[in-house]
Amino acid sequence: MQPQSRKTPTLRRRLIGVCLAIGGLLWGLTASGADILLTGAEDSPGVQTFIQALSERRPTDNVRFQPLASLPVPGQLPSATRLILLDLPSLDWRLQDSQGPATLVLRISRLQARQRLSNVLPARLSLLWSDPPLQRQLRLTRLILPQVRRVGVLYDRHSEFLLKELRLAALPLGLEIVTERWDNTSDSRPLQALLKNSDVLLALEDPDLYNPKTAKNLLLSSYGRQMALIGPNAGFVKAGSLASTYSDQSDWLAVLDDLLDRPPATWPRTLYPNHFKVLSNPQVARSLGIEQMDEASVASQLTEGESHP
Amino acid sequence: MSFGPPSPRSPLLLALIFSPALLADDLFLDNEPLPQVLTATRLKQSPAAVPGSMTVLDSELIKASGARDISELLRLVPGMMVGNINGNQAAVNYHGTNASEARRMQVLIDGRSVYRAGLATVDWSDIPVAMEDIERIEVFRGPNTVSYGANALMAVVNIITRNPADSHGTRMKVTRGQRGINDFYASQGTGWDGGDLRLSLSGQQDDGFDSDRTGADYRDSRRLDRFNLAVSQTLNDSQSIDWQLNAKDGTNQRPYTYRPVFSGITAAGNNSDVIAKDYAGSLRWNLDINPEHSLYIQGSAQHWDRQRTWRACDAEVSFSPELTDLWQLNPNYAERLARNMERYTGPGAPAGTATEQALGNQVLKQWKNGARQTLCGDIDQSARESRYDLELQDTLSLSDSLRLVSGMNYRYDRADSETYFNGTLDDTTWRTFGQLEWRASEHWLLQGGAMFEDTQLTGSSLTPRVAINYLINPRHGLRAVYSEAIRSPDMFENNVNWSYQVTNLRPSAYGQSSARYFVKTRGPGDLDKERMRSRELGYNGFFAELGLAVDVKLFYDEITGMISEPLRNNQYIASNANTSRFRGTETQLDWRLSNADRLRLTYAYVDAKASNPLDQRQTARNSGSAGWLRDWGQGWNSALFYYGDDALNGYRFERVDTRIAKRIGLGKASLELAGVLQQRLDHQPTTFVDNNYDERRVLYFSAELEF
Repeated sequence: MQPQSRKTPTLRRRLIGVCLAIGGLLWGLTASGADILLTGAEDSPGVQTFIQALSERRPTDNVRFQPLASLPVPGQLPSATRLILLDLPSLDWRLQDSQGPATLVLRISRLQARQRLSNVLPARLSLLWSDPPLQRQLRLTRLILPQVRRVGVLYDRHSEFLLKELRLAALPLGLEIVTERWDNTSDSRPLQALLKNSDVLLALEDPDLYNPKTAKNLLLSSYGRQMALIGPNAGFVKAGSLASTYSDQSDWLAVLDDLLDRPPATWPRTLYPNHFKVLSNPQVARSLGIEQMDEASVASQLTEGESHP
Repeated sequence: MSFGPPSPRSPLLLALIFSPALLADDLFLDNEPLPQVLTATRLKQSPAAVPGSMTVLDSELIKASGARDISELLRLVPGMMVGNINGNQAAVNYHGTNASEARRMQVLIDGRSVYRAGLATVDWSDIPVAMEDIERIEVFRGPNTVSYGANALMAVVNIITRNPADSHGTRMKVTRGQRGINDFYASQGTGWDGGDLRLSLSGQQDDGFDSDRTGADYRDSRRLDRFNLAVSQTLNDSQSIDWQLNAKDGTNQRPYTYRPVFSGITAAGNNSDVIAKDYAGSLRWNLDINPEHSLYIQGSAQHWDRQRTWRACDAEVSFSPELTDLWQLNPNYAERLARNMERYTGPGAPAGTATEQALGNQVLKQWKNGARQTLCGDIDQSARESRYDLELQDTLSLSDSLRLVSGMNYRYDRADSETYFNGTLDDTTWRTFGQLEWRASEHWLLQGGAMFEDTQLTGSSLTPRVAINYLINPRHGLRAVYSEAIRSPDMFENNVNWSYQVTNLRPSAYGQSSARYFVKTRGPGDLDKERMRSRELGYNGFFAELGLAVDVKLFYDEITGMISEPLRNNQYIASNANTSRFRGTETQLDWRLSNADRLRLTYAYVDAKASNPLDQRQTARNSGSAGWLRDWGQGWNSALFYYGDDALNGYRFERVDTRIAKRIGLGKASLELAGVLQQRLDHQPTTFVDNNYDERRVLYFSAELEF
């Protein structure tokens, strides 16, 4: 029974692969556009909205979504296909085969990539980082709080690797990075120690540290000391962070649009989106005595700084 | 750098961005549901937008000051007059009034008033909170009955203890020094899923002042122990509970001050010490209905137990029923006779009405027949006071620019004392309050409110308050404030029924071993509330580039219907006949020069004028403080403070405090060794003539281990 049950899906996948290859080939002959295949473990209204928006943006391409379960091994997909991965299970699937089409990996953070890939960047894969770039977050901090010098950062064993880069990014901005290791989030002492020695807190996109359980204590403790938290994402700004940069669907569409116009061979191995927005919490700003910021103008100042470093 | 003009649409945009449907549909925004923590109801105004003057003493300052008492910390608040009745009784008043009865300020610990229920005073040394548990002290300099209830007449001192979630781990501290200083503190904090706890034990001991006006040893040392438990528990996303238990037990020495009324009495007791026990418990339920609407209900129970029995000696005639009658008839006549018995023995009772003279002659006859003999007995001047308080406060953010804080409060006070009240006296208070904050524009902020209060013993009153803030920008604001406030006379002032039942009499008085002393004093019972009208102009600014925070205030305050008569058991005739007026200016400056240096200056000029000279006693025309905190690196830090006032109750006060500390890392633990030197610069007693130190300097050391 067992060998057969293993064989059956493989056979099915092969058949699907052949059909796909033929279909792709036929489509390729009839139209000049590329075959853009998006995949993820789960379909959802969010996925559908995104696919719809991407196809509207690229009318000459064949943009389609196929759930992960229905796909063969990556090597059996036509090499001309441009594959876009929407989640981590699809990345795992893609990694099982070193062959396969050029692939853009969306919705993956530096931290997640490090946990899955260690330091190895697999061939044919472009990792598009979902977490805001550290330098951008630091520059945002500098821009809205020009008087701060000491930037407090909590980290754990997963996010520790980001510190070196963070320090390097802080140097030209005249900021000092103060760090505290926080392995056990039910013990508030590292947070207290950090609050004592910093002017502002910068949150790394580390879900072990910044999650619904820790949000209350983090935000109330820092606010209690009249200290702002920057980052880690838009959701946290709603909860009480002062501000963060983030990229939403429209930003990612612009990034993808740009990449898909280029031959896959020129795709970068990793990329932070150059399209982004700034979100602030005006009520928190007001309470901390900080000028209400014009988010669009702050974002364009940041963009300007990035294009002319 | 400059930002574009603030867009009035930004909140709308924010709402659009985060409308649930959009958020759920955007694959790239974090879809994990996160509670909104810093909601419109939880956020406070920025310093420039506060409708009044506020001084915040943060934990860094509290620690650097090296102070062992909350009252000493208040020297850092401009306009605060800090003195001592004796070594274990501080007298603290904002701007002034009477030096021995500081009772015109509200003092709260985590929202619970520690104003004594019956004898409306604050026993600073007996407050059941250790300095090490204090996160910060917010002092609202000015009347604010709308937010804090009656008795927030001249200022409000809001002591906020460390959140249990912020005090994890173990702390142990010992302090030893000259003048018998011997303190300890130990705390343990821990957290679990959704909850946190802090348990702390502490103790304090010192000798108080060294000598009285005659150079004799001054009996005013203290010894106390405290227990504190604070727990917070999150019930779900919208509800949480905080509860606390506090207890304090200790002894405060009091010098023996009884002076026999009758001549020829030489026997005396040697002390009138107080055993002071304070207990408190509170429970608060917080409910966030939505990000724009939250409320809490806080219930608390407090008990003050002051046990004070002492031995008094006087002539047997003190217990004469005829003398008691005479006192009731005419206390002046009775006192004149009592103090001059020998003089009237020959000629007979002094001139007066026929009844007075008849009673007087009977007393003189008793005197001649042996009632001049010395009797000693126990006087029980104990008092037990209780308070139960229930408060509901609702915060509603009606729009981005309109916020309403409203609530109700019920309080039950009871005082039980044979000596003061001839039994038990109680009072109930109902209070309702509301305050509206309206941000009319980016620059204009209007805040106004009123409180209505009805007390069983003193009737009802309504007090309004209105403030206008003009924000030049979010960090710099000008303010104009008008407020009215009231202080209800306390049970002691209004309803005292003061007499001494003396027990264990040796030998017996008129055949009795327990008898009532002839002096009896009753409060008028119909006292009205004191009323304050306060006007204030101020500026608050924070220069972010310099790290400099400045607050300047001009004020003109009037108190009418003032009860100024000292509380004495002979001839206490309380009335609302007095008035006071305070005007002047105050400045505070807090400057973080660098990461290592912090400079802090305060200065107050107060001009006081009072119809009763006693109410001018506790006002220093010029007072202030200066502080310099520095972090020298490698674990070393220092603090230097100067405190001065030109005359408090007639005595100058100037002192320099230095604290030097070294922090030593011991693996995961850290040890801090610190030394504090306080050097008096003047040669005067402290506030009262009996408060003298042999040496002008005191030195104490502390070691604190944290892990």
